[in-house]
Parts: sequence; structure tokens; C-alpha cells
Amino acid sequence: MSATPVYIICSPRPLVGKTMLARLLSEFLLLKDGAVANFDINLKEPSLLEYLPRVTETADISDTFGKMQLMDRLIVHDGVAKVVDLGFHAFDEFFRMTNEIGFLKEAVRRHVVPITLFVADTDRTSARAYPMLREQIPLQALVTIDNEYVVRGELPEDMGLGRVLRLTALPSFLKTYVDRLPFSFTEYLRNERDTSTELHQWIRRNYIAFRELEFSLLAPRA
Amino acid sequence: MAKPVVIVVGADKGGVGKTTVSRTLLDYFSANNVPTRAFDTESPRGTLKRFHPEITEIVDMTTTADQMKIFDTLNAASPSVTVIDVRAGLLSPALASLRDIGFLDAAKAGQITFAVFHILGPSIASLDEIAETANFMQGAKYFLVKNFINDTQFFQWDQSTYNSYFHRIKDATDLVIPKLNEMAYEQVEVSSVPFLKFVANKGRDDEAANYSFVLRGYVRHWLANVWSEFDRIKLTDLVGAKPGVRGGEK
Repeated sequence: MSATPVYIICSPRPLVGKTMLARLLSEFLLLKDGAVANFDINLKEPSLLEYLPRVTETADISDTFGKMQLMDRLIVHDGVAKVVDLGFHAFDEFFRMTNEIGFLKEAVRRHVVPITLFVADTDRTSARAYPMLREQIPLQALVTIDNEYVVRGELPEDMGLGRVLRLTALPSFLKTYVDRLPFSFTEYLRNERDTSTELHQWIRRNYIAFRELEFSLLAPRA
Repeated sequence: MAKPVVIVVGADKGGVGKTTVSRTLLDYFSANNVPTRAFDTESPRGTLKRFHPEITEIVDMTTTADQMKIFDTLNAASPSVTVIDVRAGLLSPALASLRDIGFLDAAKAGQITFAVFHILGPSIASLDEIAETANFMQGAKYFLVKNFINDTQFFQWDQSTYNSYFHRIKDATDLVIPKLNEMAYEQVEVSSVPFLKFVANKGRDDEAANYSFVLRGYVRHWLANVWSEFDRIKLTDLVGAKPGVRGGEK
């Protein structure tokens, strides 16, 4: 069995598109593998659980028991990709804990590949958070998300040194459309006959980017 | 033949973590390939023996027979390092006994390496023991162990109180044992295995266990911090061992 990927979608800032990215990635993994396990650590933001309730469970890392419930699942090499939607309020605690318990080292031993997707922003909190991640995470496993809707083409230089995945901004009316609870990216791809629509191409482009990302990170270990 | 080394771990106050520190010492020596034997003075139950049964013997230090068992075998015993976990309230009487049998004089003369790990709790009563114990410490290495079993500050916020205790004894060395996550500590307790085995996810007989990865991580991190304190005080030098790459740190 090839390695099990664990995607950690994070930012120390609220409302930068973490949950939207988590939805998109989860739907891609569901389409590709038929299975995904999502963990929603968002108590104060839009919730992944509301969008994908059948494959998502909530997690709380404010105490040791909650950390055990989450991390003892994430470290399992079972072939099912995991997506963690890490709320801004839990950012510091999560990475403090993973550093302390040696998550990355243990993951290597168990054929689990953590991939941290850092949603960039131009503020000071993000500027402080990124170097902290760089200290802990090898550059090839740390992906900066250049969300055009957030950084408006001004991705901080430091954050662009490693791997960057670019999310182009959707027009406001389309953003409102995809933000509706019953909306599914994959269903849209399946049902929309006109493949030239902006949304169709946007979803396809991002799915291809995810596929390339996963291939580049997992293929050598397979 | 290597000089015998005796390490006494004790405090007159109970519940300050004497056995926990003894366990970290035994793990440290094991990882550094230093043959060690241990005596547990919590007769007749023995907490240390529960975690390290192969190398630990339960003794009653107040009896002459058991004192002989420990000290008359120092030169004959194959492990050159002896760790004695002295139960609560027995530290001062034990040191007095050692003085009476001439053991402290032998340490002073350099025939034996003698070290005392005095475990301090977060109370004035615990700190008051320092002066009492210090009277016996000529010729011994005296370590004042601040065990952060809770969020105590050891009166560091009151410099005069702090200095009056910690700077009173010239040759004492401070040592810090950081706090271990409560659930991790309890899980090791329940498992009744040495910290090293817990970290390695092994049971009593080296069989594969299924401890929480998170709790093992907390223990590994904590144990590394404790060992770095032992490295700082050059504990391997003290017991005459060569420092090298040790197990459990891979």
C-alpha cells in the first residue's frame, strides 16, 4: 500500500478560505479514491462538517484527550487520505503539540505523509507563523496556498520560496454560489454539460493541481 | 575495578516524585549502557520494583540486615551503580545511618562515589529539609531537584526566600524535572513499564503494546528534557561511564 497522505489546511487567520480549500480537496480525494476522512477543528469559522457531514468529524485539541482522539487517528497508515481543517484559534496549539510529540518523525516510520497547506495572508500574524512552520516542516511538505481572493497578487516573498499552489479568485456571484451548503464541486463537474464555464474550468484546474501535488509527494515513496 | 557509585534519591516529604526521578535515572543508565541495580525502600510494597522488577530489590533500610545487603555488597556487586529510592521521611535517618556506619567517611576519602538527589516539593517544609540534609553532604555530590509536578515556582517570585534556600548550600547543584502531561503519566502508571519501554510502545516482556501515540510523544519529549538535565550535570562522568550514542533517542 502506498503512503497515506494527511493534509493539514491551516492559517493563523480567520476567513482566508481554509474550509473552502478543505471542501475542494476532500471532494477531489473522494472522487479519486472513493474515501476520505475529514477532521474539522473549527469552532469559530464556517464549518467543514456542515458541508460534508458524511465524511467529516469534529475534533477538539484543547485537552489531551481530544489530542489523542485526533492524532491517534492521523498517524494510522490505512490508505485513507485525511484532511484536517485547522481553525485559526487552534493553529499555535496544534503545531506546538505536533512538534512536541514528534508527529513528523513518527509519520515517516509509519508510511504516513503529512502535507501542510498554509493559506497565506499579508498580515503580521501570518508573517510570524510561516517561519515557525518552516522550522518544523521540511520545505517539500509545506505548501503555500496563494489564494488570490485573500492576497490579491501580493504573496509575501518568503512564503513563495517553496512549493506554491495558486487558487485564482472566483467572481463574487460564483463565490456566493459555491458557498451555498448543498453545493458540491464534483456534482457540478458531473452535471454541468458546458465545460467551458468559468467554474467548471476552475474546479478542473484545482483538481489537476491536487493530483500533481499528491503525485509529486507520494509517488517516490510508493 | 571501577569505584562503586551510590545514588540516593529521597526527600523527607512525601508525594514529591522520588520514585519518578529514580525511574528516570534507571532509564538513563539503561540507555547509556551503565549496569545498575536498585533498592526500593518502600517496604513491603515497593513502587520502583513494579516498574523495574529485574534490577530492583525491596529493602527495609531501618534494619541492619538490609543495610548490610546494600552496603556490604558494593564492591562485590557486578553493577557498579546502585540507586536507592528512599521512601518519604527516611532521608535524614538514612543519611544518619550512613554516617554511623562510616559510609560517609569512605565517600569523603574518595573510596566511593556518593550522590544524593534531594527531591523538593512546592512547600516551605520541603525546602527546610535542605539545611538539614546538607549537614551530611561533605564528600557527596548534592543535587537539589526541583520537580515541577505542578505549576509551582519554588518561590522564585520572592528572591529573598528563594536565595535563602537555594543559595545557602555552596556545593549543591540545581536540577529541574519538568512537568509531564498528567494523562501521559497516568498511562505509564497503569502500564507499569519503564518510561523507555512506554516510549518504544512495548509491554513488560517486550511484547508489542498499543499505547497512544500522543501520550508516547509527550513522554518521549519529557524524558529527553530530563535526560538533558542529567547530561548537563555530567551524570555519566560521575558514574565513570563513557558518554555515547544511547538507545531510546533515535
